Amino acid sequence: MADGRDNHAESRAESQLKSRAESWDGDGSASVSRLAWIASGLGLLLFLGSVGVLGYEGVTRGNGAPAISAELEEVVPAGSRWLAHIRVGNDGGTTGAKVQVEGQLMAGAEALETSVAEFDYVPAGSHQRGGLFFDRDPRAHELRLRVLGYVEP
Amino acid sequence: MDIARPISMTRQRTLLHDETHFARALARAAAGAVIFALPLLMTMEMWELGFYMDRFRLALFILVTLPVLFGLSYFAGFEETFCWQDDLIDALSAFAVGFLMSAVLLSVFAVVHLDQPVPEIVGKIALQSVPASIGAMLARKQLGQRDDADKERRIRSSYPGELFLMGAGALFVGFNVAPTEEMILISYKMSPWHAVALAVLSLGVLHVFVYTVGFAGQENAGDDGFLSVFLRFSVAGYGIALLVSLYLLWTFERTAGLSMMELVTATVVLGFPSALGAATARLIV
Repeated sequence: MADGRDNHAESRAESQLKSRAESWDGDGSASVSRLAWIASGLGLLLFLGSVGVLGYEGVTRGNGAPAISAELEEVVPAGSRWLAHIRVGNDGGTTGAKVQVEGQLMAGAEALETSVAEFDYVPAGSHQRGGLFFDRDPRAHELRLRVLGYVEP
Repeated sequence: MDIARPISMTRQRTLLHDETHFARALARAAAGAVIFALPLLMTMEMWELGFYMDRFRLALFILVTLPVLFGLSYFAGFEETFCWQDDLIDALSAFAVGFLMSAVLLSVFAVVHLDQPVPEIVGKIALQSVPASIGAMLARKQLGQRDDADKERRIRSSYPGELFLMGAGALFVGFNVAPTEEMILISYKMSPWHAVALAVLSLGVLHVFVYTVGFAGQENAGDDGFLSVFLRFSVAGYGIALLVSLYLLWTFERTAGLSMMELVTATVVLGFPSALGAATARLIV
């Protein structure tokens, strides 16, 4: 009985070996379907591509502190108030989290009105958009935008 | 050219080499990628990690994924494979499916859009493609029909193979919770005694699973006795689960600035789901 099982296993191993040899002996590439080649080729491309992009980014971006700046995009009426669209960009090497941006409407040295917006994340090399609401028309005053601070994510 | 082949081999070979069959396997893999990766695709921390986590750690994580996929293909795979070239094709196809499904879903969720910088887009999709491609690989076992090849696979599994499977299970289940803030939050709440209790609980649960699920190479458990099985599978498995947990915490930058005590506690906290993953790897894979 034990012998019989051994023989069976042997013949199966043999047939496996045979199948391996045959498929890769001659024209090995032809034995795998074209779809399998396309799928695995695409996989290899995506794999090397993403590792490459990430590696390149890691080498070139560095680990400098976030360098975050805010600029005014446009002012639009929002009901009885005004909305100043702002754009916050980060030219530094790392991401800033909880980035607070303050906008003040100035009359000379005096601040008439102050509004604050907080951005959850401003990734390195990226920019985010937000808005500040004011009771007065920001276009009639000087709007001073300041990035107050961030925390490391 | 097929005519000349003996019938005994063609049944298996055609599975990977027949176009329509492979197309069906790809569709099944895509379904697996979506189902297994869905919790992570809809986790906010994953999107954020995709752009702010250290680029080298993310690249290393993607690099580690390929051997894991290769090993899973050897043991499970969405196709039956009989040589390493087939396993490589399997692994790369699973990665392609995982990457593309992640890209599609993240785009539909508006997490990824074209005016973002390329590294940000690549980072978000690449991170998601890790669980998605593992899910694609597991799809065969979960969604496909079972057949005789499973018996073949059992023969393959050895003790190192079992350890690999436990590691892969720990990685997959641990990964599902590792990116969340809660891992660190829970460890802050726990006292050292809570951590000890959780470690003992993890090991106990792992052992119960190892015993009831019946790992290959453990058939003669009766002869080996409790201590041998406990040391060879449960303790070794928990060790692997803890190492995988530590690696995941490091990858997701949760280790920075933690004291040794906090680091150990966080590892034990993540070690619990990882141990469950290690224990149930046999069921999933």
